[in-house]
Amino acid sequence: MDSAASRPAVVIDNGTGYTKMGFAGNVEPCFIAPTVVAVNESFLNQNRSSTKGNWLAQHSAGVMADLDFFIGDEAIARSRNSSTYNLSYPIVHGQVDNWDAMERFWQQCIFNYLRCDPEDHYFLLTESPLTAPESREYTGEIMFETFNVPGLYIAVQPVLALAAGYTTSKCEMTGVVVDVGDGATHVVPVADGYVIGSSIKSIPIAGKDVTLFVQQLMRERGEHVPPEDSFEVARKVKEMYCYTCSDIVKEFNKHDKEPGKYIKHWRGIKPKTGAPYSCDVGYERFLGPEIFFNPEIYSSDFATPLPAVIDKCIQSAPIDTRRALYKNIVLSGGSTMFKDFNRRLQRDVKKIVDARVLASDSRLDGEVKSQPVEVNVVSHPIQRLVIQKLSMRNMGQAYAEQILSSRGCIDVKILLGIILRAVADRNDGRNGLSFPPPMCTSIHIWLLIFTQLSCAFIG
Amino acid sequence: MILLQSPSRFLLQTLLNRVQNLEKGVELDYQWVEFDDVRYHVQVSMKYPQFLLLSVSLPTPAQEAVFSGGLPFGAIEAIKVSYGVLVQILDPPKDGFNLTLKLNLSKLPPDEEYKHALLVKIASVREVVLGAPLRVVLKHLASRTVAPDINRPFALVHRPKESFFLVPQAEKVTIVFPMRFKDSIDTVLATSFLQEFVEARRTAGLNNAPPCLWSPSPPLELRGTAGEALSANAGFVTFVIFPRHVEGKKLDRTVWSLSTFHAYVSYHVKCSEGFMHTRMRRRVESLIQALDRAKPDLEKSKKTVQSRSFKRLSLKEAHTNSNS
Repeated sequence: MDSAASRPAVVIDNGTGYTKMGFAGNVEPCFIAPTVVAVNESFLNQNRSSTKGNWLAQHSAGVMADLDFFIGDEAIARSRNSSTYNLSYPIVHGQVDNWDAMERFWQQCIFNYLRCDPEDHYFLLTESPLTAPESREYTGEIMFETFNVPGLYIAVQPVLALAAGYTTSKCEMTGVVVDVGDGATHVVPVADGYVIGSSIKSIPIAGKDVTLFVQQLMRERGEHVPPEDSFEVARKVKEMYCYTCSDIVKEFNKHDKEPGKYIKHWRGIKPKTGAPYSCDVGYERFLGPEIFFNPEIYSSDFATPLPAVIDKCIQSAPIDTRRALYKNIVLSGGSTMFKDFNRRLQRDVKKIVDARVLASDSRLDGEVKSQPVEVNVVSHPIQRLVIQKLSMRNMGQAYAEQILSSRGCIDVKILLGIILRAVADRNDGRNGLSFPPPMCTSIHIWLLIFTQLSCAFIG
Repeated sequence: MILLQSPSRFLLQTLLNRVQNLEKGVELDYQWVEFDDVRYHVQVSMKYPQFLLLSVSLPTPAQEAVFSGGLPFGAIEAIKVSYGVLVQILDPPKDGFNLTLKLNLSKLPPDEEYKHALLVKIASVREVVLGAPLRVVLKHLASRTVAPDINRPFALVHRPKESFFLVPQAEKVTIVFPMRFKDSIDTVLATSFLQEFVEARRTAGLNNAPPCLWSPSPPLELRGTAGEALSANAGFVTFVIFPRHVEGKKLDRTVWSLSTFHAYVSYHVKCSEGFMHTRMRRRVESLIQALDRAKPDLEKSKKTVQSRSFKRLSLKEAHTNSNS
């Protein structure tokens, strides 16, 4: 056990789109790979009963096929080049969907990417705030039973985002995390490191919708983008040119007055013919991110702006935490990296809060003066760094970097150390922590089956 | 994906990244650990972007293994031969590491292919350093001589506080691996895996592979070595390497495969555990399905909590699974 504590913990952050993995103590993750597994299924679907005579050969071929799989970028390359490999995405909407694929994915992450012995390291995995306890249990089961890890902590992603901004001068584990990823947007209030589950709000608008909206705008204006490429172009435009404006009307005026300054050009090559083309990028530069603040311009189903959702979320949290929550609204996820996104959000939330305070003051006729509520939207320094330094292919990286950012990480590591030392030796003590207990796979499941069996017979 | 590759993936990625934008100054400070407790530390400073400091720490050797000056015997020569002018060995190494190399990336050859090959070689620093003594012995075998001053079983470190043994002779080298595992399930799986491994050697296609043996007790070659080196809970594996296995280019691969044999076995033990879990899950699913069918209609509509978290199989598949 001591030897594992002397080595850096392994951090694997499985996201829907990308998996970020690395060792604690480093500033960046070691690898960022798409969460995808290419499985060779050509052996699995054969009808075994038809050629029974040669079953041994078939069996060993099947076993080989079992090891014949790839993950990440290699998987995508393989599936493009040959038809024997099928892609499977183990995580859908932040939840593990295919456990077999997930187990294989982890296996490759550990042995072929990080190349470490899982018995030597503590592991830090992440999960979304809405993960069911069963799936957490299952993760623990795979980690302990298959990989024999000495200790495991499954952290909730927003809590880690808070921890990333955690410095020695400011020990703040209370705040609202606004996590806008590619596939989902969550607003998660955290008080003293605990997620307030009942107040989590989700929004059906995320990074992908911004891309779709940009695509739609460009199509409607009649830009000559080849249709098969238009989504990719829209994504690039979003990542390179989009920004948040303070006022749409003013922004329209600005664009109309000085088109040369604001309208950008996109040049590309048609994938089929290889002919070059170019198109203009105009209003969609600020209209894209605007769907978070005025969703009605994008969809008619959902019309609550993000600041209002954040306000509602905080209002539904316990009353003694609300001031602290307003004070620390933390942005995380790639789609919060538009320029000035934090300022716009802060202004809009502040507006809502001030209006409410004013209303209550006037109701009380000025007898009691309430203290002004402090609203603060915090964007992480690394988030900004990423904007300047890297193109947005690495948008997904921002999240990982927040998790692995040196300070946060060291602290997470200390935190880990404490928690893990308490629970690590699974034979000795299972302290009453909210921690997935290691399960005895077979016995546990068999017991369940036997109880069910007896019920069925009696019934 | 079945064999472990010798270059460290992350080190290679870092080097390639560095070489591509050499003129740009960046601050790098990465630390990571590989299997068998080999630790790496990479540093690049803003001031001298063309230099890269690579520190490696090796597993702590057991008593019987030979280490001279913190490195396995022959390692310094091996580094000089493999890397030439590109690399300068810093003495003393950084605190807590066995070896610190200063790489001068501006001295890389201009030829792209050669450059890449050299970077891969640097990323395989572990093979060069840890495999150095093995390489010396096998080189002597290739020329059918015995290295001087080696006569007793010769211990080489491959895991922290664990070593494997070489018995060099003019015509063959016998290599004995004591296999130890921490987990009891791993031990059982590894034992049967190794027995299968020996069995597989006998199939017709593998006549030229090195003969291999497994025994639960220490083989005769190890007589005279210390007692604790001879306790292994998963038995002993013996390979006999002939000159034909180390001819020319085969040498590198043989050295790598032998020095990571334990990691290879433990990787495959984990793989097979994963495979068994997959099968167990499928079996449980099919049984739950059978139970669901047996239930009266009233209960049929009520789904159980467990069945929801499993991927369901079709009836036919479940049937073939239970047959196989």
